[in-house]
Amino acid sequence: MSTFALDQIQAQIPQALVERYVDRTGDAWGVVAREHIVAVAKLLKERLGFNLFISMDAVDRLHLEGPEQDPRFEVLYFLRNLERNELTRLKVRVNEGEDIPSIIKVFLGAEWGERFVWDFYGVAFAGGINKRILMYEEFVGHPLRKDYPLRGRQHLIPERPIKDIFRGPGTNGVQD
Amino acid sequence: MAAAGDEYDPTPSDDELEAHLQTRNMVVNLGPSHPATHGTVRLRIELDGENIVKMDTEVGFLHRGFQKSCENVTWTQVLPYTDRLDYVAALHNNFGYLTAVESLMGVDIPERAKYIRVIGAELHRISSHLTTAGALSLELGGFGAFLFAIEARELITDRITELTGARLTTSYGRIGGLNRDVPDGWNEKVLKTLLKVEELAGEVDTLLSRNRIFTDRTKGTGVITKEAALDFGFTGPCLRACGVNYDVRKANPYWVYDKLDFEVAIGHNGDNFDRYYMRVIEIRESIKMIRQAIAQMPQGPVMVDDWRIALPPKENVYNSIEGVISHFKLVMEGVPVPAGEVYSATESANGELGWYLKSDGSGRPYKVHVRAPGYQILAGLAHMCEGKMLADLIPTFDTINMIGGEVEQ
Amino acid sequence: MSDEKKVEAPKPAAPPPPGPPPPKNPGFVTLVIDGKEVVAKPGTNMIEAAKSVGSEIPYYCYHPRLSIAANCRMCMVESSAAPPGKLVPACQTGITEGAVIKTNTDKVRAQQKMVMEFLLLNHPVDCSICDQAGECKLQDYYMKYDFKASRLEGGKILKNKRKKLNDLIVIDQERCVMCTRCVRFMDEVAKAPQLGVFGRGSHEVVDVSPAYGKLESEYSGNIVDICPVGALLNTDFRFRARAWFLSATPSLCTGCSKGCNIYADFMGQDVYRYRPRENDAINKSWMSDTGRLMYKTINKHRVLRSLSGRGDAAKEISHPEAIKAATELLKAHAGKVAFMASPVASNEDLLAAFAFARDALKLTTVYVSGRPDGIADDFLRTADKNPNRKGLENIARAFGLTVKPFPELANAIGKSVKALFAVGAEVPEDEAVFAKRAAELSAFVMTATNESKVTAAADVVLATSTHIEDEGSFTQEAGITQRFRRAFPPKGDSLPNWKWAIELSTSLGLELKAAASSREVFKALSPSVPELAAFEWDKQAPINQKRPGITSLPTGADGRPPGWREQGVPNIRGLSLPRGT
Repeated sequence: MSTFALDQIQAQIPQALVERYVDRTGDAWGVVAREHIVAVAKLLKERLGFNLFISMDAVDRLHLEGPEQDPRFEVLYFLRNLERNELTRLKVRVNEGEDIPSIIKVFLGAEWGERFVWDFYGVAFAGGINKRILMYEEFVGHPLRKDYPLRGRQHLIPERPIKDIFRGPGTNGVQD
Repeated sequence: MAAAGDEYDPTPSDDELEAHLQTRNMVVNLGPSHPATHGTVRLRIELDGENIVKMDTEVGFLHRGFQKSCENVTWTQVLPYTDRLDYVAALHNNFGYLTAVESLMGVDIPERAKYIRVIGAELHRISSHLTTAGALSLELGGFGAFLFAIEARELITDRITELTGARLTTSYGRIGGLNRDVPDGWNEKVLKTLLKVEELAGEVDTLLSRNRIFTDRTKGTGVITKEAALDFGFTGPCLRACGVNYDVRKANPYWVYDKLDFEVAIGHNGDNFDRYYMRVIEIRESIKMIRQAIAQMPQGPVMVDDWRIALPPKENVYNSIEGVISHFKLVMEGVPVPAGEVYSATESANGELGWYLKSDGSGRPYKVHVRAPGYQILAGLAHMCEGKMLADLIPTFDTINMIGGEVEQ
Repeated sequence: MSDEKKVEAPKPAAPPPPGPPPPKNPGFVTLVIDGKEVVAKPGTNMIEAAKSVGSEIPYYCYHPRLSIAANCRMCMVESSAAPPGKLVPACQTGITEGAVIKTNTDKVRAQQKMVMEFLLLNHPVDCSICDQAGECKLQDYYMKYDFKASRLEGGKILKNKRKKLNDLIVIDQERCVMCTRCVRFMDEVAKAPQLGVFGRGSHEVVDVSPAYGKLESEYSGNIVDICPVGALLNTDFRFRARAWFLSATPSLCTGCSKGCNIYADFMGQDVYRYRPRENDAINKSWMSDTGRLMYKTINKHRVLRSLSGRGDAAKEISHPEAIKAATELLKAHAGKVAFMASPVASNEDLLAAFAFARDALKLTTVYVSGRPDGIADDFLRTADKNPNRKGLENIARAFGLTVKPFPELANAIGKSVKALFAVGAEVPEDEAVFAKRAAELSAFVMTATNESKVTAAADVVLATSTHIEDEGSFTQEAGITQRFRRAFPPKGDSLPNWKWAIELSTSLGLELKAAASSREVFKALSPSVPELAAFEWDKQAPINQKRPGITSLPTGADGRPPGWREQGVPNIRGLSLPRGT
């Protein structure tokens, strides 16, 4: 697998790349320091041609063994360069309570990715939207965390006043 | 009123005769359940007259906790959950997931299984594209084309039923190959079906592609630029309609796509018509591919011969200790996927279907991330519609082919 | 090679005699296993040395606490110190300086495959009815080392499938792989050499020597644990639960004052078995048969609701009612209440209870109840059948309370003692006798885990949870304090002893620092007890993420999510299920 992207990041923003490794299937992964993620995304998109935003997600490492537990969360970024046919696999590791600079300004598509990560893992993005996407606003907790219980009930949400039904759920506060 | 001394001009000025009514923007809900949308998505649209000022896409009505469910079952048991992602083309999800697990395990599946996967996936691609085209025509008022499309889709669904045993929730394939081979005479039946499908898809094409009413509604509406499409993460027909040549089957060929001769359709306008027309062309290409695959398909096993991965035959399970141990361990503890992580992508009907899988070495996935193509495309819907007419939203929403199951997981 | 020759050529003198090379690390043996350098003490087993660098060598017959038999042939590895072309058994072969050992070559793999094929040749098709399924080494190793179909043509050899060795142990001779761990255990550890191998070749069986007829040992249950397959079975556990549905929690045996470390395997709110947990200082890997059955007290005849009234007049009362009834009785006899505590209660329970006795009841003496003494032996059983007598004495001493023996109380009941508060229902005399004595008490309040004749004699019985339902610690006879962990929440309405003590103190008008957990009780009250002051409560007996001894099957293997089993019945809105269903 080509490591062009990681080589370039290492050459151009050396302090950004905390760690890089090749996984068992031969793919290259880079761990980026969280304060540099915007710069790295910009570099990748604007100068290296990684302009296809693929996807974002996170991993809760709570149940992994030993040193892999810390920091707790690993936010994943996948970007693709179509000319070189190369996929960059980036990770940003954060602990609970730490936020990551948002890359919405660089990739429009990251908005929903970041909202997903916030919704399901509770990792906030500085300058991002940090609004739930698939769960409803009143939901308590972040369900893909490993310590989120599998069984149980969320509290009931009171029925909305009639006039809100015209505007639909979740639109409290919208100006008439 | 003309002031005294001014020359009287009888022609009214531009806005003189307009009644200056106080207007305000109106908020309209499209969905979550609306006859003109498919999939439970709620679009909160702020309208200025007929123009969309602002649009909020609200998803999650169909959220089923896909990832959380997957993390708590064995690798094989994830399969039925994947059916429910893109339920219009379930085999793409089945095979995409299995391919990802296989690449994480480093397993190479038998050649025949690869061909059958190609045939199944391409059949479902045709089926999905026919649905998109048919529904688009239906929602623009053309009922006839919809019926032709659905008739062809029914034929394909019948073949899928014969292959997998289910119309929609196929759960076909297993880690290491397929759970069963194609039925006797199925290949010939598929070839005959393709003739019929070709004819019906041709009818749809004829009814729509040069139809003035249809082209007026679709050409130049729902336009997205190439840059914006890449930015949002569009893939599949929606990205190719913008003129970007990216198809996972060509870029990183998996299974046996490198042995098949097919073209990738590229558009240039990035509008609704191009997105529709990509699908018309892809149906033809898929038919071509299936014919080649059936011609090339070798004989042989469809499952790897390794009792650590494949369930042993039932007579061994009932009559030998080796069989019962293997069966027991595979069912109770799951296929042992070694610890590691992988991102693997296949081309589904809507674009790049990516899987990030992480295993901690136990029989259950540690993390199953699915990169549903529709998720990123739907994220761009507001961008495509804001500032445009409300009526253009419907064809746009159709041609991006949002599938609630995969978007909302 | 060429270098050596060059050096040797100019020296016609005889080369130095091929002695052992000088040790690389003096005092240790240095060798290479699978390409990794291992420095080990002389005499270390090859299996253990390989384990230290992460190379797993499979074995059936080897057990670190038994003699080496080297008869399963599963641990054969390639060693540079062996005769060329031969494999050596890793369990038996000593490590030598500079040896290069390979555990993963084709030859070793082929050997493992062959051994597995032979072991499974006559093995019955029993997984579906076998208790060992899920924690069976045959299954684990088959998936790792064999994974091929059987080549057996014709029938398997039939042996006795249900031979009773004693009331607790049954052997299925067909399943046996002849590792002789049980034979060696009975000989070397239990010192009762009653088992032997009979017959030859494929017809070999493990059986009790005819001279005995029946296995007679207090430690026979351990052979079930060490049996790597499902041949030896415990009749008490047999057919009661599938291994993969059970969750394990590190705990302690409460059968005597030895303090054997155990795992309590539980499902829902029931314990299914105790298994010994390794502890070099106390029980090694073993436990006694009596202790093994102690789990039954947790499941059966529990006081699940607090009771008020004696004998047949007893009726179930709610938690606030129980507090109120107990407070009224204690207030009515203020200053005249005697206090009796059972050493079955944990340190945390006793810390709170003695604080209650000293501060709320204003007492200076406490009486010790507890189970009567029993049989002791020179291995794991002690005469004192209470797990925490030492802890009780330590805490009482630190709290300035005089500990008086039970007979003094028994004789004083009805005379000088008119009211009694008891922690725990265990009494060292016949329960019926004590119940008769207790009838003369004008007020008898007690906390109890299990119903007995004693609880029937009490005015108020406060339902109490057992040690498995709470976190806590015991101090065993030699003064070693050990932690046990909570498996599931308290059954029914029961509460731990420390909670009752705190709530009664409060309702008697004493301002106590509220403690929400046994941990807080320990943190608040233990510093005054010198024996407990240095005890690292939080660090002891950590819970394993993965189940020990059983291949990793996270909870929820039955398709139901974890939480069902751990937390009992979920609270479903609008549907209140009776507890314990």
